[in-house]
Formats: sequence, structure tokens, C-alpha cells
Amino acid sequence: MSNNGWATGAPLSASADWVDDILLRGADRDVCLHFGAPVDRAALRHAVADREAVLTRLGLARGGSVALQLPPSLAYVANLLAAWRIGAQVALLDHRLTPFETERALDRLAPQVLVGHTGTIPGGLRAFYDITDVATARATGRPAETHHSVIQLSSGSTGPSKVIARTAEQLVAEVDRYTRIDGVPLPGERVVLLASVVHVLGLVGGLLYCLHAGTELVLPERLTVDSILKAVAAGEAPTTLLGVPFHTELLASAVEPPKLPQLKRMTTGGELVRAEVSQKFVDRYGIILGNMYGMTEVGVIATDLYGANRPSLMPAPGLAVREQDGQLLVSAPESPYIGLVDPTRWADGWLNTKDAGQVDPETGLITVLGRLDSQVSVGGLKVDLTEVEHTLAALPGVEGAVVIFDRGIEAYAVVPDPDAAAALEGELAKRLAPFKRPRELHIVAQLPRTATGKLVRDHAVLRTAE
Amino acid sequence: MLATYGERSPDQIRERIDSLELAWLVHQVEQRYAVSLDLEDEALMRMTSVSGAVEVLTEVFAEQARG
Repeated sequence: MSNNGWATGAPLSASADWVDDILLRGADRDVCLHFGAPVDRAALRHAVADREAVLTRLGLARGGSVALQLPPSLAYVANLLAAWRIGAQVALLDHRLTPFETERALDRLAPQVLVGHTGTIPGGLRAFYDITDVATARATGRPAETHHSVIQLSSGSTGPSKVIARTAEQLVAEVDRYTRIDGVPLPGERVVLLASVVHVLGLVGGLLYCLHAGTELVLPERLTVDSILKAVAAGEAPTTLLGVPFHTELLASAVEPPKLPQLKRMTTGGELVRAEVSQKFVDRYGIILGNMYGMTEVGVIATDLYGANRPSLMPAPGLAVREQDGQLLVSAPESPYIGLVDPTRWADGWLNTKDAGQVDPETGLITVLGRLDSQVSVGGLKVDLTEVEHTLAALPGVEGAVVIFDRGIEAYAVVPDPDAAAALEGELAKRLAPFKRPRELHIVAQLPRTATGKLVRDHAVLRTAE
Repeated sequence: MLATYGERSPDQIRERIDSLELAWLVHQVEQRYAVSLDLEDEALMRMTSVSGAVEVLTEVFAEQARG
């Protein structure tokens, strides 16, 4: 299948006014977002201008640095676009990080301004939040040290986390890639976004792409079947659902979903939807289930938006993918990591994805076969098990720890002192965001080891250690 | 009911419920008992463990039976 999207002509480029030119332009009355209520271009531009005034008053200028620690919300979108309009570098911190993790991130990134929110965030499966954002200047902050526009921290095995950085040119190039892929939502259509707008799939594939294309981006009230289907039914334009495999499984479990003639397609990012779930979903809704492969460092890498090449995918226009020693490598002109010089991650224009895979020399189709390191996906968020294991092992009273993944993160720890053992969950909760925490924590007398003394990570063997 | 997500056996279910499982659970309860739960934030926030979820659902069903 060819990759011909709706865009024609020269690729987009990131001028100094890229936010206005590529994302914000459009008629005042044109509804571009729907966060509980429709937001038209005039209202969005107004919200951005408000935040720009606040950030500028706090001293943020071109080349400055700001961290956003906001849940998905209109305030998040407005602050992000405002900071980019100023020409500042924006670090995106997950709002679920613990104070300990936040502190560590702020020490490392030293942003000049931090935008947080007042009060506590309600839980309850919300897809977006109505919050009051608060920006504060940080005396210890430093201007951006690099020319990148966005910084994201990934759960990492070496040290606390990796700093992943992307330039405005790279973000714009990714938006451009989307416009050239056959099967993406078209201008005038709608996207109901189930993935977080703070992480790469929802951020670029959802928010930035939709703002550019003139495709209305709708966030459902809650991430429940009812609420998602209501969000689809609320508009007449052809609608695409964008989420992760869990959302497909959730929607496929609805026995008699209502007829939704406007629902055109569902596209998921991350791992492949299980074949059985995929079939059930297609039977129930009678629509196409597409799949995308990408990573925070690059954004979208390859797609199969018609589900025609399953489980394989076609590299996105403008990117090259090759296979080396069983690993997939993707073309990247520069290293996406700040402060990391590791040739096993990036060298000579190629980024090691750490995904095992194959490239078909005839068709160019790629097949992803799974992770080569200890990274796992929890609801679409990447978690490195080594980070969890190191954090657990460093807690008081812990003499040894092994963390594995078996449909959830599980930890085995040797903690002889019962008081220390009892305090373990509480201590972990201070240091790890909820999605990184073990779902089950087993206290064992000793950890099984191989004859040569290496820790055993086999699930079945570990279970016998209890 | 939670075990039907990801095809697990009931003994693989842990006490803690994450947000994905919660979305799953709410839907399965609604579907099996043909009800619309329409839970508020506060109730959903209490449903982060199996025992919390049982407590909330018991209250909701008791209320619906009365009303």
C-alpha cells in the first residue's frame, strides 16, 4: 500500500512563527478542540495569549526554559503553545510523578518557570481535567542549554531517567509525516483521543496534527465505554478513535454497541492489539482497526492504518528503518538524548530502537517482535523495570530485589526486618509514580539464583521462592 | 469479572486496581447487570482496590434497589 496522505507540495518547515503558521491559524469560529465544551480558534488563541502574558511577566524569553506539570487540560495546551510561541524550551513532566520524582526532575532540568496547578486533581477515569494553572518563577532555573523545543523524561535503566529532546523542526517534520500517510484523519473530520495528550502519540498524533490539519480533537469526559461512545456520537463528521490497545479491548467488550455511522476507524499506538481482540472489535463496530509504531524519541515511525499488513507496518514517509543484528534502527539526524553519549543508543544518523524486528527487503515492511531491554508498556506508558528494581533495592532494609512483568509489574524483595517490610509499599509510593509501582510485592526469604550466582528472572521459579 | 480482561484466571487478580482495570470493571458490571452506574469522582477514587470496589458497588446497588 502506498503512503499518500492528503498533503501535497513541499514539506512543512519550522519558521520562527511555526506555532502560528502551523498550529494556530484558521478562522476564528472554527472549532478545533473539544474539552468538555467546544473551543474555537479564537478562544484557543485567546487562552494562549493569556498564558504568554503570564510567562513573559515571569521573565520567560526566547531561549528560556519552562516545565509543565499539568494533567491533560486546556490549560496544558495553552501553556505549551504559549511557551513555544515565546521560543522557550518546554519540559513535560507527568502530573502523576511523586514529589520525590518531581524534585529530582526539576534538579536535573533546572527550568526557569514551573507551571503546576492548584488543588488536588480528581481521579475517576477522566480523560481531561478542568484545572487552575499556576506559573511560578524558580530562582535556581537556568536558560535552555540546547535548541530543543520539548524535553521529556523517560523511565530509564541507567540512572533515574533519560532526557529525550526534540526540536521544533522535528515536531513539525512529524506533523508533516502524518499528513502524508494514507488513512490519517482528514481536515474537517474528528478525532476522539483516548491516549494522553502529554505523551507522544496524543501530543503529536493527536493535538499537533489535529490543530494543523483542521481536524477537531475531542477528549471524552471519561475513559469509560459509555463516555467514549457518547463522544463519538456527539458529532456528525467522520470520526477516528486514537488510543492504545487497552482501549480497543475495552470497546470490543461491549456486547451491543450503538450504531455509529460516523465512526470510521480506530488507530492504536504501542504494542499490537491481540488478533482475537482485533477480530472482535472489527466485528462489533464494522470499522477498520489501524496500528502505528513509534517512540518518544522520534514520534511515528511506521503505520498500518488499514490493518492490511498486520502484523507488519510500512515506514512513514521521510524515515528509513533498517535491521541490524535483529534490532530495528531508525534514521535520526542527531541524537535525541541530552547528556547521553552512548553509541548503543544513537550513532552515525541511526537510532537504536531497542526493539527486536525484521525488515522485508522486497516490500520494505517492518515487523516489530518485542523489546530487547527491560522496558515494558503499562497502559501505553513506557516503564523500565530496571528503574523500578533499582528504586526498590535502594530502600532501607532491602537486601535484594527482582522486578518482573507478567501482565503487570511484580516485585520480589528480601527484607528481613518486618518493620522495614511493612513500610516498603509506602516508601515506594513516595518514589515512583503510580503506573511504575509493582502491582504485587512479594517479600521472600531469598531470591533464587543460577549456579553462577546470577539472579533468576523466570516467573515460575520466582513464584516458588515465596 | 476483572479476570476477563487480558484472559487471566481469578487467582491472578491482585488486590490493587489500576485505572485501566477500573474502566474495564465498570463496563463489565454495567453490561452484566444492565445498569448505568454513572459514578462520581469520589466513588471511582475509592475503587482502587478490589475491596474498595466491592464496597462502592454494594452501596450503589443498595441505593438503586431502594430508589
